[in-house]
Amino acid sequence: MMPRYNRLMFAAAAIAMLMATHAAAQDYPTKPITLIVPWPAGGSTDISMRAIADSASKILGQPIAIDNKAGGGGTVGPATMAAAAKPDGYTIAQIPITVFRLPLMQEVSWDPAKDFSYIVHLTGYTFGVTTSAEGPFKTWQDVIDFAKKNPGKVTYATPGAGTSLHIGMEQIAALAGIKLTQVPFKGGAETNAAVLGQHTMLQADSTGWRPLVDAGKLRLLMVWTAARSPNYPDVPTLKELGYPMVYDSPFGVAGPKGMDPKIVAKLHDAFKKAIEDPAVIATLAKYDMVPNYKNTEDYKKFVVEVTASERKVIESLGLAKKTN
Amino acid sequence: METLLNVAHGFGVALAPVNLLYCFVGVFIGTLVGVLPGIGPISAMSLLLPVTLSGTPESGIIMMAGIYYGSMYGGSTTSILVNIPGEAASVVTCIDGHEMAKQGRAGPALGIAAFGSFIAGTFALIALMLVAPKLASVAIAFGPAEYFSLMVLGLVVLTFLTQGSMAKALLMACIGVVLGLVGLDSITAMPRLTFGRLELIDGIGLVPVVMGLFGIAEVLLNTEQVIKRDVISTRITHLLPNKADWKASAGPVSRGTILGFFLGILPGGGAVISSFASYALEKRLSKHPERFGKGAIEGVAGPESANNAAAGGAFIPLMTLGIPPNVVMALLLGAFVIHGLQPGPLLITQNPGLFWGIVASMYIGNLMLLVLNLPMIGMWVQLLKLPYNVLFPLIILFTIIGVYCSSNNVFDVYVMIAFGVIGYFMRKLGYEPAPLVLAFVLGPMLENNLRKSLILSQGDLMTFVQRPISAACLALALALLIGPLLPALRRKRELVALDEGA
Repeated sequence: MMPRYNRLMFAAAAIAMLMATHAAAQDYPTKPITLIVPWPAGGSTDISMRAIADSASKILGQPIAIDNKAGGGGTVGPATMAAAAKPDGYTIAQIPITVFRLPLMQEVSWDPAKDFSYIVHLTGYTFGVTTSAEGPFKTWQDVIDFAKKNPGKVTYATPGAGTSLHIGMEQIAALAGIKLTQVPFKGGAETNAAVLGQHTMLQADSTGWRPLVDAGKLRLLMVWTAARSPNYPDVPTLKELGYPMVYDSPFGVAGPKGMDPKIVAKLHDAFKKAIEDPAVIATLAKYDMVPNYKNTEDYKKFVVEVTASERKVIESLGLAKKTN
Repeated sequence: METLLNVAHGFGVALAPVNLLYCFVGVFIGTLVGVLPGIGPISAMSLLLPVTLSGTPESGIIMMAGIYYGSMYGGSTTSILVNIPGEAASVVTCIDGHEMAKQGRAGPALGIAAFGSFIAGTFALIALMLVAPKLASVAIAFGPAEYFSLMVLGLVVLTFLTQGSMAKALLMACIGVVLGLVGLDSITAMPRLTFGRLELIDGIGLVPVVMGLFGIAEVLLNTEQVIKRDVISTRITHLLPNKADWKASAGPVSRGTILGFFLGILPGGGAVISSFASYALEKRLSKHPERFGKGAIEGVAGPESANNAAAGGAFIPLMTLGIPPNVVMALLLGAFVIHGLQPGPLLITQNPGLFWGIVASMYIGNLMLLVLNLPMIGMWVQLLKLPYNVLFPLIILFTIIGVYCSSNNVFDVYVMIAFGVIGYFMRKLGYEPAPLVLAFVLGPMLENNLRKSLILSQGDLMTFVQRPISAACLALALALLIGPLLPALRRKRELVALDEGA
């Protein structure tokens, strides 16, 4: 049997520990935070997240280290975090739309509805389809004409299988009645090189292609936003080309499930302020991105909505996972 | 003439006192990061990225670049002294560098690494100034088919890495390839060989594998042979390379420089591959290939020049196309964009001060590194005199900190320890770690590019021989494989065979 004073000590220790956990949320953050960006460094997501994280770290008073865990169309990073990281607020991840989409297409290790503590919704991308300026395609119609004569011969580079670029191109191909061949790369730096070297005929990616389009090395055939881009007023949108769609892959940040709501609130406030920072807005504008703020509750609702709409698209394309 | 004016303008920018300070801070941090095993330029640069925001774009980028090429200098130090590569590009330096240290020639090894790096760095910069825009096309000439064939060529290098049995080396390479496949498949995002372990979804990290196989295994192995240690501490005669060393190194340095520069331009691990390739090239060309693995200075001079030239070459696709060829360059791209600059075809004409300023600062930084590193050789050599019961715990401490820092993941520390034990038994039984590491790096790239090229060619294998660059790589690989079998080269082959028997 435990002597009395030992029990007292035990109780005191338990109280101290409780207080310590409480204090942990109060004092958070007391050490650098790791933000997993599931894309290779240097792409538009990486650079915009770096700008946002830099601004948020000034508000939080601790550095935010970016950890580029690329692969699996941007799912490897969040999946690794959901599986292995502690929900202490020191590991968070950018959540691309593939985190919701891939579970609809195949067996995966995570459940988007349960495995994450969603924090704040931040922004979305401008996607576009480019081709080499030395190539034969001048307009999207040229691509369709060629593809009709040569089914499956038109290749396009995407930043990964199951990304919005892959799904979007397949949807466009289905509507246009053509067959295209996807070649999955690992992000914008690689797709830029692939289309520039004419290894693939087309590139479908977010605006990492911008300096190359501006320099006249690549030709922008279409953008996937709701309205034309102010930077490229002559380039048509999907809707104008007759495809009733808008693709912008909105994204936010989340941590592993079971995070202290106080810590979530602190991170939410810091990231909200960050996307209001004029310097961040200016960096986002370089990639034709605009802040698209949703608070923690609205973000959770949005995840449910987007999963439902993705399910419809995936099923209509016949890409849904086989359920036994 | 215009180039000269630009260069002068660039030095004007780089010699501004504040930029000189940033440059020095950068190369100093880079040297430290390179020396400390496990902590690579990537973690240092991402932590310091916010610091660069406070100054001008020039000073920030000058510092970041300094960390990168500084780490290439520092990486060789621990390879040579204690057989632990400071970063992946220095793995191959361990083979002959540490052997030289054991023979009491740590000084010349460190010296030739520093001089070779300086010469290679200088050449890379001159090339960067004169031909950067023209070489941009090299970076994009490589598609999936070309990469596949280049990786095949890279794997042939394996046959030159080994001092022992070829069968054992190939076995190690197979294990390396399989280890490289662990994790999510990059084409379909399906988990492979993870055995349901979530920690393995992200694959096995290169840093813990290298630190385990080299660092921990070396410590374990040396605890058995304390007596041999006296050899290292007693016979340190001279600190710098002598005339004979220079004569032997001149060829390797110049070939390593050119090889490294061109491989550095290509996106994807140029520095690592070029150091391995340079080692293989020197062994192939040497009149005495049997000396390799037993402290040949060529085996240090070539790879160390190659990885520094690769660091310079890597700037070309970034500055001229906005395409970062590796993670470090991608971080630099991030620094550019945060400062409101967009690297790409228009960068040099729109911001000549910035471009030429950075290039000039890299030249100054290389000089600083030489001045910084040469006096330190004496100090590093003294480090070898530390008693093992002090040195070994320190090595283990630094490798654990380094591995933990690179991923913030305790699992990686376990991986490192496991590979340390595996590495110990491998050495005991005569299996070498270098082929495993090379295959571990190249294997996944080989598979990924094979699958992409087959998607592009719609399953047609002829694509690899129809494309000229790809065909040339494959032909070279074939020649290297069957070359030793031809009668004209029989003599050399016998020497290699002798070597294998040793």
